[in-house]
Amino acid sequence: MGSSTEQLDPEAEVPEQAFEDYIIDLDFHVNPMTDELMSYVEDDVIRDKLTTEFGPTPVVGKWDAAYAIKEGTEGLYTQGRAEYAEDVREACKKFAIDEPIVNPGINNLNQQHHPLLKNGVTQAANDYMLDNFADEGMYTSMMVPKWDPEYAVEEIERVGSEDNIAAAYSWFDPKVPWGAEQFDPVFEALVEHDLPLLLHGSLAYWPQHTHIGDEMMTWTEVLGFDWPIHGMVNVVNMIMRGVFDRFPDLNVVLQEAGHWWVPFLRYRMDEFYEMHPEDVKITPRKHEAGERYLDRTPSEYLRDNFYLCTQPFAMPRNAGEAEGMLNLSLAEDMFIYSSDWPHQTLDPPTWFYTSRAFDDDTRQAILHENAEDILRL
Amino acid sequence: MSTESPVGDNFTKVAAADEIEQGTGIAVDVKGIEVAVFNTGDDFYAILNRCAHQQAPLYKAGEEKINAEDTWTDTRGGVDAENATVSCPWHLWEWDLETGEHEVTGKCISTFDVEVADGDVYVSI
Repeated sequence: MGSSTEQLDPEAEVPEQAFEDYIIDLDFHVNPMTDELMSYVEDDVIRDKLTTEFGPTPVVGKWDAAYAIKEGTEGLYTQGRAEYAEDVREACKKFAIDEPIVNPGINNLNQQHHPLLKNGVTQAANDYMLDNFADEGMYTSMMVPKWDPEYAVEEIERVGSEDNIAAAYSWFDPKVPWGAEQFDPVFEALVEHDLPLLLHGSLAYWPQHTHIGDEMMTWTEVLGFDWPIHGMVNVVNMIMRGVFDRFPDLNVVLQEAGHWWVPFLRYRMDEFYEMHPEDVKITPRKHEAGERYLDRTPSEYLRDNFYLCTQPFAMPRNAGEAEGMLNLSLAEDMFIYSSDWPHQTLDPPTWFYTSRAFDDDTRQAILHENAEDILRL
Repeated sequence: MSTESPVGDNFTKVAAADEIEQGTGIAVDVKGIEVAVFNTGDDFYAILNRCAHQQAPLYKAGEEKINAEDTWTDTRGGVDAENATVSCPWHLWEWDLETGEHEVTGKCISTFDVEVADGDVYVSI
């Protein structure tokens, strides 16, 4: 005769069905300890400057999530701090994540001042990730220095062919957008190495000391909307400047840029381009190629060359409304699951099982198929 | 069939009191309902185990983080004994253990009466 009570499985934090599905997580942050990371810097002069009392990333942004979270800066480590592969495996077990694509998560590097010092951190981070993750059988996204395209290519040539390097990781930000021609050598190297370009939000935020930037005072504005706005700016800039006519095989993933804006871009880009196409021929790539128009309509590039990470999913509670948004947002073609572990914005794969909006095809596409299509696994 | 209860027929034994360490919780399935039972040190509280935000298991609040020594706080969420609240281990949504209310949104989840007798914890569903 049994008791009417039963203790629940402490190892499982998501619905049982999640453990039956194959789940790839495209945004899993590792946080190396600073001293160990700095021991990987090869250049003695640069390592000396990076290990002053100011540390490797002394420039801080104007806004900080710490003001918006009860535990303050601990929001960066709400779930803990993964330093080695076994930490990642332990964290993934309870969330039914089978294949985390890890990155070293130094998202404030882009806003630091000195390019050579930033390059030193990039080299160290890539070597740390190779030693402690890629060589341990864990898929890793290598860091690509946006501020120095020449060094970015060097780093892709040095690291990009190593086993278990599955993607390249850089940032979208309020600085030079990725449609600029200076990035062509980077795109060429990425295509050659069959690596998708993951663009994560950078802590550089909205241009600071501007009218809009100075008036943003909440994290909801900054992370919730500043990042998606800059994500959209980068997407449209790359499409309209002809990046994908020159590099049709380049795949770009935006991380933490939001995703429900896809319908807005699809219809608005096409409407504006089809009514006003005559300036495309004076963008540098098109002018150099002697071409007048884009090869495809803008929304086709969006669907074919871009992918969007889903964290935080922010689903409508009404399943019918959610299903409509998934369809309009081309979720089956464009969305890729991401957890953002260990941050307070963590998104375990619950939505796919608690909302009736997902059919199995859409669920499998988001949880692993779209990622498998573009990652070098 | 319910374990016989010295505190009333509506109560079900869920654990020995010393099985729930101070500042932590356990989760039990009582008559098909997931219940988290917390020991704040001052008292025992029972609340629905699933956070209304994203269905996180609340009883994991207070669990030690991975490499906790390298973070500023030690635990994923936690129990606040002074205010009788629990912070969700995923996103830190704070739930009142007495009322089941989340102050920011006004959302509520169920709470349940708890009795302790003869060293055992009982919950009424």
